[in-house]
Amino acid sequence: MKEKIIGETIIEVDSVSKTFDRRIKALRDVSLKVKQKEVVVIIGPSGSGKSTLLRCLNGLEETERGSIIIDDTPLDEHHKNRLKIRTEVGMVFQNFNLFPHMTVRDNIRTGPRFVRKEAIDEVDIRTEDLLEKVGITDKIDSFPRQLSGGQQQRVAIARALAMNPLIMLFDEPTSALDPEMVGEVLEVMKTLAHEGMTMVVVTHEMGFAREVGDRIIFMDEGKIVEESSVEDFFENPEKERTKLFLSKILDNGGCE
Amino acid sequence: MTFVQGLLAGVDELRHKAHLFKIRNPFIYESIKFLFFSFFIILFVARGLNGLNYRWQWYRMSDYIYEITENGISAGPLLSGLRLTLFVSAVSLILSVVIGFVSALFRLSESVTAVIVSRVYLEAVRNTPLLIQLFLIYFVVSPILGIGRMLSAILALSLFEGAYTSEIIRSGIISIEKGQWEAAHSIGLSRVQTYRRVILPQAFRQVLPMLASQAISLVKDSALVSTIAIYELTMHGQVAISESFLTFEIWFTVAAIYLIINSCLSLIIHIFERRMNKVSI
Repeated sequence: MKEKIIGETIIEVDSVSKTFDRRIKALRDVSLKVKQKEVVVIIGPSGSGKSTLLRCLNGLEETERGSIIIDDTPLDEHHKNRLKIRTEVGMVFQNFNLFPHMTVRDNIRTGPRFVRKEAIDEVDIRTEDLLEKVGITDKIDSFPRQLSGGQQQRVAIARALAMNPLIMLFDEPTSALDPEMVGEVLEVMKTLAHEGMTMVVVTHEMGFAREVGDRIIFMDEGKIVEESSVEDFFENPEKERTKLFLSKILDNGGCE
Repeated sequence: MTFVQGLLAGVDELRHKAHLFKIRNPFIYESIKFLFFSFFIILFVARGLNGLNYRWQWYRMSDYIYEITENGISAGPLLSGLRLTLFVSAVSLILSVVIGFVSALFRLSESVTAVIVSRVYLEAVRNTPLLIQLFLIYFVVSPILGIGRMLSAILALSLFEGAYTSEIIRSGIISIEKGQWEAAHSIGLSRVQTYRRVILPQAFRQVLPMLASQAISLVKDSALVSTIAIYELTMHGQVAISESFLTFEIWFTVAAIYLIINSCLSLIIHIFERRMNKVSI
């Protein structure tokens, strides 16, 4: 792996809080900075707020307090800013969420065609390139239900990439997959990371975190408990809570 | 042994015996069943009709279906009534889908006013009889708007069926999972684009069977506009009966015509549905 040069700050989350149903505190005063080309892996037990944090980054969830700035654009109530952020931040979901009534080709080109209003010839060339990148050129005219889970998730990655995003968010991209399909999706994600894509990944795949992560964030009960480089995180975690979590998942064979 | 157990055992034994008859060919077996049931139904109807002491004069019916004039054959009262029924139904069907669609979107919108408007419309229309709505529009609303009886009839039918269509469309839209909205959001589609490209194509596919039965109801409900003297199929039927006293012949013919229209409608929708499914598999 060649060394990549980490750039300027591109995501800036400042003391964000979020409550569900007026009672459940999903995020408590979370602050986070992500730099260009950085791969940040968020881990933590379920209900720790990691997915909520990720969903706040492209406006899928509203925040109550605090601010989020992405590529110098504040995620506020201005429609223009929100749209800009939505198009600059790609997202991959746990359950793929492909559009079932569209072919693979249409799934990928919907964004560029109708949001960016690009010419169809250009979009078609890019669609083919992207499918080649995720390794499913032969399925371009298939419908999502004809694909395996791993293939669907790779199409979902291509769909997000079609908007030429600056940042990619991954919300447990391999959790809904059969074990033998996890690898093919992680491969695509690794390639992306090596190409210098800024990525924020919520995952339980510790092998992936170790290999391509630049930084690891451990969350629990809506707070960031520990934030450190990959080596430090796995070799000498500071907090008791982190040690407990790591011992549990590593015992369960969560590591590769 | 309980009664139910006994019954099941009995059925099992019968099936075992049926097997002994060795009716292996399903086509023959089904045909025998069909003839058996048809026989009883015909017997039943024939006995009922015999009891009526009615003199059937089917040979006089042709006058009401077509007329022979100097210029050749032209439509008789029933067929010209059919034309009007088809016209009123077709226009109302299109309008009711438009009204239903708008009302469903109102109901799902974030505007409180829009939600209240669609809610009041829905409850008012669904919970009162169509006949009274028709009279209300014809006698009260139409003089204010200055519309004729034909427009009143179409308006009443569209508003009535639109309320049901609205609920059907709404159920289709809310059945689409949240992930579809989120995926559309994440690639930057606007609310309108999300509806147009992602939600409605899927919702429409799901509710097509329900929309079909709604369309069939509309054709049948259109018979009610005869009450404000619109000469559609049912009205022409009634007039023909009062002149000819061919009560049963004419009612049966009218019913058969409705049956044919609606069967065609079902068939068209069925073909349409199959074609859509073919595209997406």
